Amino acid sequence: MFLTRSEYDRGVNTFSPEGRLFQVEYAIEAIKLGTTAIGVKSKDGVVLVVEKRVTSPLLEPSSIEKIAEVDTHIGVAMSGLTADARTLIEHARVETQQHRFTYNEPMPVESCVQALSDLALRFGEDDDEDGGMSRPFGVALLVAGWQEGEGPVLYHTDPSGMFVQYDAKAIGSGSEGAQTTLQEEYKPELSLKEAEVLALSTLKQVMEEKVTATNVDIACVAPTYHLYTKEEIEEVVSRL
Amino acid sequence: MANVAYQLGSSGYAANSAHSAPHAHPSWSPYDNNGGTCVAVAGNDYCIVAASTRLSTGFSILSRDVSMIFKLSDKLMILSPGFQADARTLHKVLQQRYIQYQFNHSRPMSVAACAQLLGNTLYYKRFFPYYTFNICAGLDEQGKGAVYSYDAIGSHERSGYAVQGSGKDLIQPVLDNQLKAASPLVLPPENWMSSLPLDQAVDLVKDAFVSAGERDIYTGDAVEIYIITKEGTRREVVELKKD
Repeated sequence: MFLTRSEYDRGVNTFSPEGRLFQVEYAIEAIKLGTTAIGVKSKDGVVLVVEKRVTSPLLEPSSIEKIAEVDTHIGVAMSGLTADARTLIEHARVETQQHRFTYNEPMPVESCVQALSDLALRFGEDDDEDGGMSRPFGVALLVAGWQEGEGPVLYHTDPSGMFVQYDAKAIGSGSEGAQTTLQEEYKPELSLKEAEVLALSTLKQVMEEKVTATNVDIACVAPTYHLYTKEEIEEVVSRL
Repeated sequence: MANVAYQLGSSGYAANSAHSAPHAHPSWSPYDNNGGTCVAVAGNDYCIVAASTRLSTGFSILSRDVSMIFKLSDKLMILSPGFQADARTLHKVLQQRYIQYQFNHSRPMSVAACAQLLGNTLYYKRFFPYYTFNICAGLDEQGKGAVYSYDAIGSHERSGYAVQGSGKDLIQPVLDNQLKAASPLVLPPENWMSSLPLDQAVDLVKDAFVSAGERDIYTGDAVEIYIITKEGTRREVVELKKD
């Protein structure tokens, strides 16, 4: 990929002669440097697990937030430049609340993901008001949701503004190995408890450190968002 | 039929012009009341929606065949007696929002969603309201009848049946008596959905309009009825007295 690097990797809105937008591709590369995040869909809900790199014994682990609630029926896990995700999440929160205000119903999950992708693609525009940025976002998100009439859903969004639905998806530094494991182990009839184990054991495989209640975060949407407490994480760890 | 806006407009201007007689100008109101009556009845597996077709102003009949029922879909309708020009505009706004909703969320808008949207749309014109007194009716996602009734500025409530417009005072007590609405506040909760079989409920609605047509000069000519069920939507027109 870097063989063809040229002057065309400067502007965010200039295609290279081969038809590529290098800054977007570099943004996607930035995600591969981030910590691993995994989402697994089961028949009773979606599980999100993320690795937290606790780089110092003096660091307060609870201050690392890589899973966030968007609405009661939507949660997201992030990988990459997590600071960029704050802008995206704030936007999604506003959109979902706006939908509730207007229609008195939860926003369809796909519409929320669409809103996130629209914002992700609004880089390089002249006015950078309300969240638009001069460069592409450096994060990928796993969006777990509960869709009325459909059940659990899992989406992956990246800086190119693309979004796709998955049964199980890994993003971040360990994503390649983790995705292979998920492909081998995933079954559609998984229960929520089994999905927790699959997600966390897959994460464990690609983590350098031992899994503890402090260096991972777990959340589920089943059918409402819930971030696991220390005790609940320990319970899942004990089932590995 | 008390025309509140018109009375406010005319008495207000008259009082002013009395003090400044040299500059007196004819009173003018941005509002009119074109009369007409709307009824909606929710059943366990049906919804009946009905509206008279006469369009009046004062003692004149402008038309004998104007629909007050706006069909957003086969299962979702808005009834708007009051000022016809405002009703038309409101319907255009809702139609646009309905189509946009379908593009954005790839599904038809539910009655509940439309009810909230209509409430907000009305309240956004809090200080220059649409002079319409709406009913939003259809089948909800469970296939049950759903009826929401509004004031002009968007305050709304779901109920088992609703009456709006010039014949409201005549028809409301009849439906209260026949459909025996339990307050949604009573405990233990009682079913506030009409327990009448569909054909009896349709007859009740027709009788109500015939009776209202006897006394209310703004209700007459014909009544347009939509009967909405899971199987589909049927339209009927019943002729009323033309006097």
